[in-house]
Amino acid sequence: MGVMDFLMQGFQTAIQPQNIFFAFIGVLIGTAVGVLPGIGPMSGVALLIPVTATFTSGMDPSAAATSSIILLAGVYYGAMYGGSTTSILLNTPGESSSVVTTLDGYQMARQGRAGAALSIAAIGSFFAGIVSIIGLVLLADPLSEMALKFGPAEYFSLMLLGLAAVSGLAGGSIAKAWMMTVTGLLIATIGIDAVSGVARFTYDIPVLFGGLEFLTVAVGLFALGEVFKTVLHKEEEAEKVAKVGRVIPSRADLKESAGPIARGSFLGFFIGVLPGAGATLASFFSYIAEKKISKNPEKFGKGAIAGVAAPESANNAASGGAMIPLLTLGIPGSGTTAILMGALIMYNVQPGPLLFSDHPDVAWGLIASMFIGNLMLLILNMPLVKVFAKIIETPAKYLLPIIIAISVFGVYAVQVTTFDLFLLIGFGLAGYLLAQNDYPIAPLVLGLVLGPMIENNMRRALTTSNGDFMVFVQQPISAFFLVCAVLWILVPFFLRLKGKNVVVNVEG
Amino acid sequence: MQTGKFDRYASILFALLGAAFLIESRNISKSAYGSEVGPNVFPFLLGLILILLSVKLFLESFKNIQKEKKNKESLQIKRFIIILTASLLYAGFIETLGYILSTFLFLFVSFQAMERGSWIKNGVIALAFSFFVYYLFVVVLKGSLPGMPIWFS
Repeated sequence: MGVMDFLMQGFQTAIQPQNIFFAFIGVLIGTAVGVLPGIGPMSGVALLIPVTATFTSGMDPSAAATSSIILLAGVYYGAMYGGSTTSILLNTPGESSSVVTTLDGYQMARQGRAGAALSIAAIGSFFAGIVSIIGLVLLADPLSEMALKFGPAEYFSLMLLGLAAVSGLAGGSIAKAWMMTVTGLLIATIGIDAVSGVARFTYDIPVLFGGLEFLTVAVGLFALGEVFKTVLHKEEEAEKVAKVGRVIPSRADLKESAGPIARGSFLGFFIGVLPGAGATLASFFSYIAEKKISKNPEKFGKGAIAGVAAPESANNAASGGAMIPLLTLGIPGSGTTAILMGALIMYNVQPGPLLFSDHPDVAWGLIASMFIGNLMLLILNMPLVKVFAKIIETPAKYLLPIIIAISVFGVYAVQVTTFDLFLLIGFGLAGYLLAQNDYPIAPLVLGLVLGPMIENNMRRALTTSNGDFMVFVQQPISAFFLVCAVLWILVPFFLRLKGKNVVVNVEG
Repeated sequence: MQTGKFDRYASILFALLGAAFLIESRNISKSAYGSEVGPNVFPFLLGLILILLSVKLFLESFKNIQKEKKNKESLQIKRFIIILTASLLYAGFIETLGYILSTFLFLFVSFQAMERGSWIKNGVIALAFSFFVYYLFVVVLKGSLPGMPIWFS
């Protein structure tokens, strides 16, 4: 069967009524998450895992996994749409990936062109979404074919490269990023060892035998950590929300932004595919690129529509591109995709090359639903932009306690122990303290998700080599990945030594 | 707290964490049937790496402390303590008080802690959320959450 047949089958899965419903709920909540400052895509997706788990509890495992991942991915790319709304109307980005959008978006709003900015952002996001899905369709098969030939040594090195990429680009201090990664890997060793069946670090406490649950850790670190931060720090005075005005963009606006949208989409897609670089970097780079090639760069920062179109297309394309390493190689390149991966593993669906042969319905259903989801977002965002702008005004005094309540509900509904609730609060505190002091949290979650796989592949590779660690350098592909990983760490290090400013990814 | 100071304490804590894993991994059986590398190797190596990284951060933290400017920001400690305590009590009593009652109490207290407001409005929102989630999850989706306590019904 060719790619088109698989894609058609995917569409059959995606247009089942419940999956359309899930895609709709996903993009709707995603847009809300994007609009609300304080909840980013990471905490949004983490919070919704338990909720989707309960929604899909009656279905058979494979269908449940498909529906959940459709919803969760919807939240992810929906948030990229929503993030632009606050940037433009309030001058406060809802997500870190929309920071650059404030530069020109808010200026446009002050000139009374907020509606045009918002709709161009939506159109650009839609086009970028479609570009990245086409890229996903084209690259999925060859990449997973290639990855199928990998042995344990190659996998181990590839995952190490993934960790290096994310840790190398996260935050200012390399030591801090790696400490978080290693802590994540260490936490993952708690519980019964999958290879030998030996209990590790459990001290005969029954709740520890299963290990610390990924869901509890992720929701605690991201969602509760963020809530605690907002509770502790005085919220800034709410600025006046700019009027939306005319939503339909003028012909001149469309003409002016066609180029930036196309360039932003392709640039964003390729940056998204790279592990570690994410939507934030993509939007940043595409803005700079547009400013460089523009005929009148002095207009940037004063309300140039290209300054909205390019970064908003790029961040959406990047979020689609980030799905490629996740689905085909099983390596999440960012915090949000790590959480998506954790969700898939909860359903016993292992992302990676085998995903396309073992669970084609999940993989292709997701890809097809991304087409549908992006279309929904475009339809939702054009007329409803005024409604979403209202969400900004949700008072924090209700929102924050309710986020805690949803976290508690979600963790308890899935885990049914109060131990996990205390763990949740503990990780919430840790998440606040760590994030407050520039310890990036995404690498920890990435380590937690990849930990068991890295360890298993390492031990399998070492078993075949009779305990000889040289096996990782003797296999050419494995050695190549390791060299890349080392370069990824060393190059920014040397650039920093030379006094160059290294762009870091704050989103993770 | 200044980040530099925090880093110093954190690096000590992380080093202790690494050491704990390192030492405790020696109690795990060293060999597994059919496998050359026992379940102790991975945690042992990671513990070692974590200690080394902590040492690096510990040394870095002295550099950072001088660079920092004082940037004092008033924190809302009181409201944070109330909400944190309420969350802990919520987690502790969710099974004895039941979902609806504990959630209502938690939300009501937290709403008031965030900002003093109308008792009736906050109460109604807290009650509506608790009932809505319970109804949706238990009645519609047939999930299970702790019900009302025996002495209540």
